[in-house]
Amino acid sequence: MLLTSVILVLREVLEAALLLSILLAMSQYTGLAARWILMALAGGILGSIAYGASIGTVSEMFEGMGQELLNAAMQFVIYGLLLVIGMLLIWNRDGKQQYLKLLQWCMALAVALATLREGSEVYVYMIAFRHQIDSLQSVMLGALIGAGIGFSIGALFYYLLVGLARKRRLVVALVLLTLVAAGLCLQATQLLEQADWLPAGPPLWDSSALLPENSLVGQLCYALLGYEASPTLLAVSAYLGGLMLMALLLWATWMKTPSESGREVSNEFA
Amino acid sequence: MKSIRIFLLIALLSTITLVNFIAALHGYRASMAEAERLFDRQVIGTALLLAAIPVNERAPLVVKENDQLAFQVWSRDGKLLMRSDNAPTDPIGDASDGFAESNFSGFRWRVYSHAADDGRSIRVAERVDLRFRLADEVVLQSVVPILLGLPVAGLLIWLVIGRGLASLRQLTGELRRKRAEDLTPLALASPPEELLPLVDSTNALLERLQASFDRERRFSADAAHELRTPIAAIQVHADNLANSLEHSGAEAPDSLWQLQQSIERMAHLVEQMLNLFRMTPEHYPARFESIDLHRMARDVVAKLYPAFARREQEIELRGQAAFIQGDRFALVLLLQNLLNNACKYTPEGGRITVAVNQREKCVELEVCDSGPGIPADARERVFERFYRVGGDRHESRVPGCGLGLSIVHHIAELHRARITLGTSPLGNAQLPGLMVTVCLPLPATDVPGRNAKVRLETNSEKNQDESRRA
Repeated sequence: MLLTSVILVLREVLEAALLLSILLAMSQYTGLAARWILMALAGGILGSIAYGASIGTVSEMFEGMGQELLNAAMQFVIYGLLLVIGMLLIWNRDGKQQYLKLLQWCMALAVALATLREGSEVYVYMIAFRHQIDSLQSVMLGALIGAGIGFSIGALFYYLLVGLARKRRLVVALVLLTLVAAGLCLQATQLLEQADWLPAGPPLWDSSALLPENSLVGQLCYALLGYEASPTLLAVSAYLGGLMLMALLLWATWMKTPSESGREVSNEFA
Repeated sequence: MKSIRIFLLIALLSTITLVNFIAALHGYRASMAEAERLFDRQVIGTALLLAAIPVNERAPLVVKENDQLAFQVWSRDGKLLMRSDNAPTDPIGDASDGFAESNFSGFRWRVYSHAADDGRSIRVAERVDLRFRLADEVVLQSVVPILLGLPVAGLLIWLVIGRGLASLRQLTGELRRKRAEDLTPLALASPPEELLPLVDSTNALLERLQASFDRERRFSADAAHELRTPIAAIQVHADNLANSLEHSGAEAPDSLWQLQQSIERMAHLVEQMLNLFRMTPEHYPARFESIDLHRMARDVVAKLYPAFARREQEIELRGQAAFIQGDRFALVLLLQNLLNNACKYTPEGGRITVAVNQREKCVELEVCDSGPGIPADARERVFERFYRVGGDRHESRVPGCGLGLSIVHHIAELHRARITLGTSPLGNAQLPGLMVTVCLPLPATDVPGRNAKVRLETNSEKNQDESRRA
């Protein structure tokens, strides 16, 4: 019981915590006050409880596929938000301080949605055990250990990002955001496959012997890179598609935004 | 990073949590495996014990057992010789020796099959869920302390970091308490190795700053002092020249008059520079005595009266006798500077008032004129050395060196007095006038000190009120 609950909680917490630390580091990068994070987390947690409590009703929608479809939709929305966040970060890289309110809202919404989604799964899992007194301790301890590991990795990851040189920090964060976003596309595709909205093909490969998904490293790779031990062709295509689309758009934004050194020169001559 | 303490707390706590929890997980896994092996050994032991018991082959024996364990003993020809009451009459598990898992009586069981030497087959089964729960309970007891220890670790880390950062806090406190003019070295009792370079370089910087201040002060004072004699000589020669021209009946050229004016201005400048450096609070050997400020103001007004009369200005002294503790020479200089300024900047025929009044906490000296005044945005700067409102192209075209108010400032600092600049009630729309208020603390409430700090106030609301009144 303990191990199962560690794995489940760790998976959800780690995903949200890594996204949170990347966005928090970027919030600090652009000089935004970190107050948005509290609002987003509070909103996400309340939302996850509400979502978890009404999971029965949600599941019954769309011919019993409501939960999968709603989750997939949320993943796609978070993907879109991360894309906008990435572009706004590039736009503000030389301290233009433009569209900061929009950036803040996108970050808050992304964190709130991620917390809502991951939190609701933990909530549903924990609620299922509330009457099983004998395994409750084990489940709670497992959840605590999972959450502890997840948050600790998130916190250390945040300090790692914040400790990077300013210029490198943005690039690293953008790469990570792109990878996380691509992982979201993959998960959303899998959810749609489960809902039979997309044809589920045979797995393209199976690397569970090499890197099991349930191991800590596997979990980390899942949260950061969207690692899946046995993905279908469609899932892999969605991953690569999401990755390429975001990378391309961010690259184009980067090219279009005047560089820092260029601005300095023009200021000198102004 | 906003706070070193919070950073260290979070980073350390995260590291400890991560390492401890992963270790706890591994410990849990290993302990569970060990517990499984232990249970298995127990089951094997039970099977061996059963194999050693001789059994009556005619009637099957049913033995009462607890929920956790079940067993069967089969004869070589497949007859049930003995079983626990919770075991079925059908064979459990498979016939091969060793462990297997099977379902019966509504539970999942771990079954050990053992073939005895006499050909009997012994099957001992243990409920998987109970086994697991038992192991889980035992192992969890070793995990719980790690989790419970975490808040304690957090608290200890918080306190330890606080202790570790104490010297840093002490240093910042020391720096914060330091006043602008205080250039004495930082005194930190046994600073840690990491802070030593910072303390040392700060002290070296303070020392260099003090030395350069001293040098500058000494140079200016020496230069002014050295200039005094040649200027006096030039003054005498110019006067002699004027006298001899007068005696010879020739008319003195205009440039001679201008030369005399320039020499006078230069002598004044040098005198003011010397006064300024003499009045530096750190260096002035003040001798405080009880002084009637009103009487002193009367004497100074009387002394300067010819200057006011020359410009046909009306000067008025108000108030009553008010005693303070102060340095006579310095206060006379303060009054002279304020009155000279008032005389210089008030147009001919203008009005000037001097008032000395005893207030609740201080003796208030107020000098008002009907000159051009000082704009609100320049009031902070007029106390700087050589600063003149509007620079060299001073609107009043009054010659001056820009040191008068600096001297006043030094003297006020010496007496812990508060200076306020405002608009004069004597002014009008074109010439708002200047009101200088100096609040000198009463001797009973405040003993004047040499390291006193002066407070400058430019109370704009008050000024607006006054300009409305004016």
